[in-house]
Amino acid sequence: MLLQLKNIFKWVQQGGQRVFLLKDINLEVEEGEFISIMGPSGSGKSTLLNVIGMLDTFDEGEYGFLSESVHTLKEKYRSNLYKEYIGFVFQSYHLLDDLTVEENLEMPLLYKKIKSSERKALVADMLDRFNIVGKKDLFPTQLSGGQQQLVGVARALIGKPKLILADEPTGNLNSQQSEEIMELFKKLNEEDGVTIIQVTHSEKNAEYGSRIINLLDGRKI
Amino acid sequence: MFKNYLKIAWRNLIKDKTNTGLNVVGLSIAFAVVILLGMAAMFQLSYDDFHANVDSIYKVVRTEQTPKGPKAGTVQPAPLAPALYAEVPGVKRIARCVEDGTLALYNDKEVSMDIIWVDQEFFSMFSFPILNGNDKNPLENLNSVVVTKDGANKLFGSTDVIGKTFNLLVNGQETPFTVSAIADNILPQSNLDFQIAARFESHNEYNESKEAWDRQYHAVYVELDEGMTASVFEKSSEPFIDLHYEEGINRLKRDGATADENGRFINLKLVPLKDVHFAKFKNGFVEVSRSRPYLIFGIALLILFIACVNYINMSIAKTAKRLKEIGMRKTLGAQKQQLFFQFWSESLFVFLLSITIGVVLSAVFLNDFKSMFNTQISSELLLSPVFLVGLLLTVLVITMLVGGYPALLMSRLGTIQSLKGKLESSGSNKVRNVLMVFQFGIAILMIVGTLVLWGQIDYMRNKDLGFDKEQVVSFPLNGKRNSHDMVELLRDELSGNPDIISVSGSDSNLGLGKDGGRSSSGIGFEYKGRIVMTNFLVVNHEYIQTLGLNVVAGRSFESAGDSLGVVINEAMAKELGEQDPLISQLEIDDGVFYPVYGVVKDYNFTDLDREIAPMTFFMSRQQNLTYGFVKVSPANMANSYAAIESAWKKLEPNAEFLGSFVDENIDRTFKQEKTTAKMIASGSIIAILLSCMGLFAMSLLIVSQRTKEIGIRKVVGASVTSITYILTKDFLKLVLIAFVIASPIAWWAMREWLQNYAYKIELSIWYFVAAGALALIIAFLTIGTRTVRAARANPVKSLRTE
Repeated sequence: MLLQLKNIFKWVQQGGQRVFLLKDINLEVEEGEFISIMGPSGSGKSTLLNVIGMLDTFDEGEYGFLSESVHTLKEKYRSNLYKEYIGFVFQSYHLLDDLTVEENLEMPLLYKKIKSSERKALVADMLDRFNIVGKKDLFPTQLSGGQQQLVGVARALIGKPKLILADEPTGNLNSQQSEEIMELFKKLNEEDGVTIIQVTHSEKNAEYGSRIINLLDGRKI
Repeated sequence: MFKNYLKIAWRNLIKDKTNTGLNVVGLSIAFAVVILLGMAAMFQLSYDDFHANVDSIYKVVRTEQTPKGPKAGTVQPAPLAPALYAEVPGVKRIARCVEDGTLALYNDKEVSMDIIWVDQEFFSMFSFPILNGNDKNPLENLNSVVVTKDGANKLFGSTDVIGKTFNLLVNGQETPFTVSAIADNILPQSNLDFQIAARFESHNEYNESKEAWDRQYHAVYVELDEGMTASVFEKSSEPFIDLHYEEGINRLKRDGATADENGRFINLKLVPLKDVHFAKFKNGFVEVSRSRPYLIFGIALLILFIACVNYINMSIAKTAKRLKEIGMRKTLGAQKQQLFFQFWSESLFVFLLSITIGVVLSAVFLNDFKSMFNTQISSELLLSPVFLVGLLLTVLVITMLVGGYPALLMSRLGTIQSLKGKLESSGSNKVRNVLMVFQFGIAILMIVGTLVLWGQIDYMRNKDLGFDKEQVVSFPLNGKRNSHDMVELLRDELSGNPDIISVSGSDSNLGLGKDGGRSSSGIGFEYKGRIVMTNFLVVNHEYIQTLGLNVVAGRSFESAGDSLGVVINEAMAKELGEQDPLISQLEIDDGVFYPVYGVVKDYNFTDLDREIAPMTFFMSRQQNLTYGFVKVSPANMANSYAAIESAWKKLEPNAEFLGSFVDENIDRTFKQEKTTAKMIASGSIIAILLSCMGLFAMSLLIVSQRTKEIGIRKVVGASVTSITYILTKDFLKLVLIAFVIASPIAWWAMREWLQNYAYKIELSIWYFVAAGALALIIAFLTIGTRTVRAARANPVKSLRTE
């Protein structure tokens, strides 16, 4: 099993009352799954994704990731954990505008303290695989949205993660670009065995997944 | 990894050129100023440090409890030093010193030179390195002299002069002296300054004074034995004082002086050589104050502080633009330390660049700085290890703090919040506001300081001193001729010139002449059973009329034959306590009584930091005049000056004419005030400039952050004025708070400073109002340009870009 959420609660205090963002979430994810999280705005999709990605904390419950209990870990170990095993893809790509495509890809490797020669090899590999070798010296603003997201996915993949978390990865893309990205995800899931959890609004995109989780007001339905 | 940090740092800096530029310019200026001012302060603090024995050498000061309160004096009688050496334990070496000007004669040459008359031990006590000649005991013989390199070049035109003989004018007689050694030039940070050093016993006063305990005319330095402390020495000198000053002590008791807390009337105090440059003896106590160098350091630090505040504020404000990057890096696995180092390395970059430019700037402006502020610092100091280490430490600490604080703030931001671009901004705004209040407080403080200083200098320059300073030329009588004859000869020579009103002389200058010499003498004598102390001036009979002093009672001197009486000032008349001072007979010499011919109105014969003291004018051919005074008519003053000079040249063809108008001399006496004022003025200009740069950068950022708000307000119908007001008022509020905080501090500091002057300006409220208004106006102009432009921009545009 890759990860397990047990009775996860998350809330904020508002005017003396608890407003629940997540309510009693239980979830088990096996390696190689492709899960889509759906639900209306404000239902807690992104919050759930962030909790899984260890970017956000929760108030109650237990979270096990590869037999480590995340809720007891210190921040430093947590960041080591997600640095090692998790890659993120965002709706608005979140590429660093000051860095070239190549440097954006290299950045996660820097934080993993990988040697220079190995970094070069991995980046070259990834550029090759995504067919963006010719764009390696361009800055993100010089690329189309679809290409930017392609770089975003490549960046998420470069650390060889077991899990990719995608927060509405196609939200800013047109339908053709969307399809390309979703096909890519599918291929990664099937051929490389990467586990993927995506948040999406679109029924069509959700169909790519092997399992759909529906949320409403922070609760699984 | 580090290479990567640097690369990203570089790109970020390049991207935001305005901000980086403002930061680098501000910090470079600040660093240059700090380096220059730091060197100036270090120079001041290093006075007399070069003597190897500096820690065991002291200057002897005598304090006396007079009926009018305590008095301290650094001049001592000739027998004191030998007696101290023989009778008080702990003295290793002792030297008497008289610093003087003299006329040296070699072949046809007549040269005015600085001379010091000292005891033999002088060159073993002090470290004035002997380059050539007798370096064991250069002053072995009574006619031996040591000449410095400069002095030798001036007199002989070469430094290869060991064994050469030349003449000095001693008591009007040409007396031969032989060069026994050449000393290195005197360092600028030395209190003792001379071109010739001769034996104390050869000084013209010595033969009359060697046994006289009541004639005080020289300084005494002692070097104590190892293990001996100043306080032990002072204590063990008490029986010695009681023995040798018995008569004086009895007189003080009789005249009603009160003893000090130890029941004593006369004490010897030792002032460490290191403190001599900073010691004042104003109120009868030895006060050592290094406030001037520390003030300079203070200004330097304040300016640095302002530049650093700019940097911190801009960095924090820029955080908003980099939230996305911070969040993204965190999701990619960056840890706090790594982010911290990334942002910190950007700061390091800016600081290293600025310090480099700062060092270059300071080297470029070193000479201008030196001439502007009359300081002697050299570029050698810039390379001295102490200075370099200090500079390096300062930079390191500043980079840590100033670069570290914003970096810390940024690295601690939450991942999700920063990804969403939300910033909890209230906290850092508070820090920003406090820092800006400080910044403007400092600027206002400095502006007030500048205004008050100029006010006081202006007051001193324009104050009616009680004598005619505009129309009187003074010049040192530094020629070979007898000074009394010289005055008469000059008077005859100039008598045909209608623009010359009168010619006279005295034994002290008014203000500081071109020769830089200053002296004063005083006497005390018994008058009706008590001691009366007075300043004492030997004059030529036309002195009072030449200076335009007002005679309020009796008459002035009328002819050269009037030398059997004296003229006194009002303060002296009061001191005598007579209803009619004209009936007083003063016993100035033992057994000889001098009637008072007349009383002149009080005038400021010393600097304005002192009250007018009693003064007695005296005519005597026994004592030399040292300065000539010529009154000219207000027309053709330049011609008259030339006439005096040519008359001088005719009578003393070999001596230099160093004449100057007395108002120039007076101006020279507050050179130090002027330098300080200039320094504070430049400091405040730089402070204001830097604060405004910070303010300008902040307004740029604030405007760009509030573009959307401005757009919405305009769409809703706000006018340009109201938007400008909204954007400006926050900043102006800070300036006002700064004013409220800085004013009392400035008031207190300026009042303290004005305490130094007996004659001073009133601290009017307008100084503060002007400073505050100035700061406010400058701040408004700085922000205004940006805010008005932002307020006038088309709202549709600003909303679209959001």
